[in-house]
Amino acid sequence: MSKKLLVLSVVMLMVLSLSITVGAQEVTLKFLHRWTQEPDSTFFEEVVANYEEQNPNVNIDMQVVSNDPFKEKIKIMLGTENAPDVFFTWPGEFTNRFIRAGQVMDLTPYMEDGWSDTLIDSVVEPFKYEGKIYGAPYRLDAKVFVYNTKIFEEVGVEEPANFDEFLTVLEKIKNAGYTPIAFGNMFPWAVSHYIGQLNAYCVPSDVYQEDLNPAEGDFAHPGYKLALEKYSQLTPYFNPSANAIRHDEARSTLFNGEAAMMYLEIIEIPTIESEAPEEFRNNYDVFVMPEIPEGEGDPNALLGYPEGFVISANTDHPEEAVKFLKYLTGKEVGQKEAQDLGFVNGVKNVVSEGEIKDSIYNTTQLVLETDRLVNWFDSSLHAEIWSVAGSELQKITDGVATPEEALERIRAAAEDVRAQF
Amino acid sequence: MKNQFEKSRFRLLKKSIIIFFLIVLTLLVLYPMYWVVISSLKTNSEFLSSPLAFPSELQFENYIQAWQQGFSRYFFNSILINIVSVVLTVSVGAACAYGLARFKFKGRNIIFYTILAGLLLSPQVAVLPLYKLLVRINLYNTYWALILPYVGFRLPFAIFLMRSYFLSIPREIEESAYIDGCNSFTTFIKIVLPISKPIIASAAIVTSRFFWNEFLFALIFIEDSAKYTIPIGLSHFRNTLTTNYTGMLAGITIAALPMVILFLVMQKQFIKGLTAGSVKG
Amino acid sequence: MFKNKYTPYLFILPALILILIFVYIPIVQNFYFSFFRMNSYSPGQTFIGLDNYKDIFQNDIFYTAIVNNVWYAVISLIVQVGLGLVLAITLESKLLGKERKFFRTIYFIPSVIAIAAVGLMFYYIYNPNLGLLNAVISMFTEGNFRYAWLGDPNTAIFAVIAMSQWQFTGYIMILLIVAIQKIPQELYEVAEIDGASSFQKAIYVTIPQIKEMILVTSVITVIGAFKLFTEIFVTTRGGPYDTTQVLGTFMYKTAFFYDKMGYAAAIAVIIFFITFTTSVFQIKFANKGED
Repeated sequence: MSKKLLVLSVVMLMVLSLSITVGAQEVTLKFLHRWTQEPDSTFFEEVVANYEEQNPNVNIDMQVVSNDPFKEKIKIMLGTENAPDVFFTWPGEFTNRFIRAGQVMDLTPYMEDGWSDTLIDSVVEPFKYEGKIYGAPYRLDAKVFVYNTKIFEEVGVEEPANFDEFLTVLEKIKNAGYTPIAFGNMFPWAVSHYIGQLNAYCVPSDVYQEDLNPAEGDFAHPGYKLALEKYSQLTPYFNPSANAIRHDEARSTLFNGEAAMMYLEIIEIPTIESEAPEEFRNNYDVFVMPEIPEGEGDPNALLGYPEGFVISANTDHPEEAVKFLKYLTGKEVGQKEAQDLGFVNGVKNVVSEGEIKDSIYNTTQLVLETDRLVNWFDSSLHAEIWSVAGSELQKITDGVATPEEALERIRAAAEDVRAQF
Repeated sequence: MKNQFEKSRFRLLKKSIIIFFLIVLTLLVLYPMYWVVISSLKTNSEFLSSPLAFPSELQFENYIQAWQQGFSRYFFNSILINIVSVVLTVSVGAACAYGLARFKFKGRNIIFYTILAGLLLSPQVAVLPLYKLLVRINLYNTYWALILPYVGFRLPFAIFLMRSYFLSIPREIEESAYIDGCNSFTTFIKIVLPISKPIIASAAIVTSRFFWNEFLFALIFIEDSAKYTIPIGLSHFRNTLTTNYTGMLAGITIAALPMVILFLVMQKQFIKGLTAGSVKG
Repeated sequence: MFKNKYTPYLFILPALILILIFVYIPIVQNFYFSFFRMNSYSPGQTFIGLDNYKDIFQNDIFYTAIVNNVWYAVISLIVQVGLGLVLAITLESKLLGKERKFFRTIYFIPSVIAIAAVGLMFYYIYNPNLGLLNAVISMFTEGNFRYAWLGDPNTAIFAVIAMSQWQFTGYIMILLIVAIQKIPQELYEVAEIDGASSFQKAIYVTIPQIKEMILVTSVITVIGAFKLFTEIFVTTRGGPYDTTQVLGTFMYKTAFFYDKMGYAAAIAVIIFFITFTTSVFQIKFANKGED
């Protein structure tokens, strides 16, 4: 009897100690991203499953909230103790306010430990705040005009060299019966992209950077007015009711040949390759926003900040979170990303020419070759200023406000915000 | 003779005109719903090219897809939250209503009017502090984050409804129970509740409708897509499906159908509960 | 009747606790929050007294929101209560027989569907390129009618208001029908003897007899007009450029988009005062009817 008891207790002790050691190492990371649609959602599922396989003691609890609700949800979630450990973000003011509130982990020590050597500098730069690095890039991006080469040929126009030529091209296209520019601005991030690029062309970059600082920015430079005026010159060439249409609804008019061009992110090119009818797929090309000679900004600036992921400052598992983040933004995932989704991440030489579609490779080179990447206007601004600017830009789109009026209200909002600092 | 004839002719004319207008209104009510249903049974290209036609083939896959892409989950969540909330509201509410109806005790009136005042309070006014509270007690993003506030906000109505009913029950029934040796709890459960089935059904149905359709709390207090209720799931669906219009419309139909069927089956209780409470939405 | 002095408290306590914790305390806290500057993602808060209220009263969007809520109230009174009353009287009149049950049921159905579902339904119905409304209108016009009902600031709010009338007129109608059914037949018989036409009967007998219910439904409608949220959120989100904001959506946007939770709490306080005072009226009139 006692022998049996002894054996039993030894076995139990072994089982107990085993479960303690295994259980003690079991870590759950909460991971939040914003891709509810295919093929990205499956991509992340596979990436996460792969990581869990390689790291059996780690369990990734993945949450997905789509683009626009995400912008509100993340704030709600960060206010709770169950905030995600690793989450998506747009660099710039969108992230900076969370950094100021102490919600984002400083990655500088990890970066300086060799991590940043594997990444492209210009793409890590956006994730810095006051000299420290707070995030890692997931994919590069830039904004270009994607146009239908057949329509251009038919109408007899070519890629414009500057903004005035651009207006002439648009007029010709309109007279030929096509919608010159497809535009879906129901969510005003779309117009913020136009303004971001135009600002970069019209306002000197150091002035622009200062103005984006909510504690000091006043947007007094005349370049801002010029940018808005240039934008309002484009509005007659958009489809009607642009503010009532969603971005992807408008994009379908580009694919079906109703519209001649659309201002798209290069990360949408994979969508063209997978969703557009063959006639469009075989007949498109890109050009960047034509330059504005009279602008005082940088004609080489390209609108297009990377997107990336950050780690919560309140995470219970910083080491594991960093390890996961490195994986998420590293070479292995980067190659899969390029193959499955057509996106390029921030790792040096992650893919070479020929490994992915030409159009994607070429547009990515645009990003890597530019000396100045400019952030999207909406993610650069303090939330209160953007909320006013977004409305005003929509009004300009509908012709309901003039550039002067809009700028006045934006400057007033900036003043209110400055007072808070 | 002539007068009678003309009178009834006139009546017939009046009736026809009235029925005509009623039918026009009926079409106005039914046509949009009909359009949603037939559109949900088309393919997307058919929907885009001939929005008004009857589908050439009934694409039931749209429904299966919608169900698999999330609606099975949303349904489950809505039903779970509904059942728990209704059971809690009705049971806690009935006990409270009985206490207020039958017992005389210090502060009874104050408590009754305080609870009644709850009818006047709009959930929107409580949402921000509730969010902070739920976060602090770690219930944020759980089913309880919805169940407990739902019950709190619906109790006043349920109590009001059931108390008036209890007041109308003759006391003799309970008195004879006491003579037989029951205490108040057993009397309540074994005697009073069984004869209160109609009012309990009305209370259950009307509060159920509120929980099923609630949006604001479900939007803010739940972040996990696996826990979305149907209204939030629908909204989230639109962002996932963007250009899959027929899938979206199938989703809308799935969301709307249960309550419509429930109503058609239980019309009497629905209406009884609604008129007693006279609160909208 | 009961042995234990504490028994009644045991019956009422669970309900009381739930209501206190999840309803009353938050509402009181909301008043407190409105005097602070705070947001959802950082723990700190700064006391700023009445600044939130000052800012609100200087904010154009606030006034747009109130105007929209008022439009909603006014139109709903005319359609839901007005048309609802006409329908209720018509359906209860002697002219109709078994048909009335059919119409009653049909008109009531939209009100049992979730507002979010109805909102999404109408989002598609109003869609400029593929929606039902424009498709129907296109049958009568040359070429495709492509008006953006929800995208044009002049029509957006009215399109949403129209949607609500579609949804709730039948509901109000049923409440009125129930009241009409309680009117004693003798009153009608007396009127008939006096030679009243059906129209006169409606004006002089029916309407006065259901006065309380008409008031109750009016008040419900007005309260509902100030509690608007889902209808707008799901169709226009408050756009285009804040022209369809109502108090509820403005509060949400301020809290979670502008990061100003204290300011949003102040808006909620204003919603509270409006809905509370109107609710008090409702209870007063409802009680009068019961007595």
